[in-house]
Amino acid sequence: MSDVRCSTFLRHYKCMESTQFNNQVLKHSDKLFRLAKSILRNADAAQDAVQDLIVKLWEKRSVLDDVENMQAFTMRSMRNLCLDTIRQNREEDELPVELEYVEPNPYQQAEQKDLASRIRRMIDNLPELQRTIIRMRDVEEIEISEIAYITLLTENAVSVNLSRARQKIREQILIEQKRVEETVWK
Amino acid sequence: MEMMNELLDKYFRGETSLHEEAELKKYFALGNVEKEHEPYRALFGVFAEEKQETVKAPLKKVITKQNQIKTLWIKTFSYSGIAAALVLALWIQRPQQNGDYAVIHGRRIESPEYAQQYAEKKLNSVNEILKDGLKPMKRMEIVKKNLQLLNKISETQDKMNELEKTHTINN
Repeated sequence: MSDVRCSTFLRHYKCMESTQFNNQVLKHSDKLFRLAKSILRNADAAQDAVQDLIVKLWEKRSVLDDVENMQAFTMRSMRNLCLDTIRQNREEDELPVELEYVEPNPYQQAEQKDLASRIRRMIDNLPELQRTIIRMRDVEEIEISEIAYITLLTENAVSVNLSRARQKIREQILIEQKRVEETVWK
Repeated sequence: MEMMNELLDKYFRGETSLHEEAELKKYFALGNVEKEHEPYRALFGVFAEEKQETVKAPLKKVITKQNQIKTLWIKTFSYSGIAAALVLALWIQRPQQNGDYAVIHGRRIESPEYAQQYAEKKLNSVNEILKDGLKPMKRMEIVKKNLQLLNKISETQDKMNELEKTHTINN
């Protein structure tokens, strides 16, 4: 019993200090922010979520020395925290998982000035898991095995979700392209 | 062109490696894109743009604040520790400083035995001096006693005189 206490005590004092914490944890804060923003679809909420996570990680920094892949660990923690936030505010925050891309109305079209904005909206309208996976792969360039660790899925499940997400985006881009061409010809 | 078509199909099936995806990104970033690939250029552009997004608020402040709290605790413990160490040091030092010394004829004497012997010797000599000094007092006591005897003689004489007077009156 006393050995356990002693070990905990030593670990606490041997644990990472702010410089080490900055180098190992804070360097991922931009990625964490982008992940949180993708899941929550709100920059301010994402900012708050990242702050919350950083504080929690700082408080538990005594156990961070044992973490082998800090990026995967922090991103997994970030996703879990964001999903908890969504669960707490389910009614207003999360869109239904089955929601499909709907062609924007004229007002939305005016708002979405270019194709890039419309593509962002297409990605944001994907189910949470698919948009998280496509962004982790195509924006953050993370290996499938690491995405599997972050999302608690098998590598095969990650590949399937990635494929579905990309296929949906491709279909919607082609629909959008066709619509633009039709508008031009008219 | 054919190779790029295949690579794009592979990409949308989710089967490309990170290296192959890097090639695609490079192809679309360079701008020399085939017309039939043009619709996808915006997609890869969005990925590149999103990668530039950074966290806004100064996260370091959180850590600095946490650090300040920790520093405060460390300082508190350090100062308390230093204070405790000082008290302990003084407490340990005190008995050592009890090694008193005496000055005899201008010399510092630290040996307690020697100082004690010297003091006893001096006290004895003082005792002797006092003994001699008290001798005249004893003589005074003797004189006092003798004087008391003389007082008694005079009292007896007074009484005899009174008796003589009484006897004369009666006769």
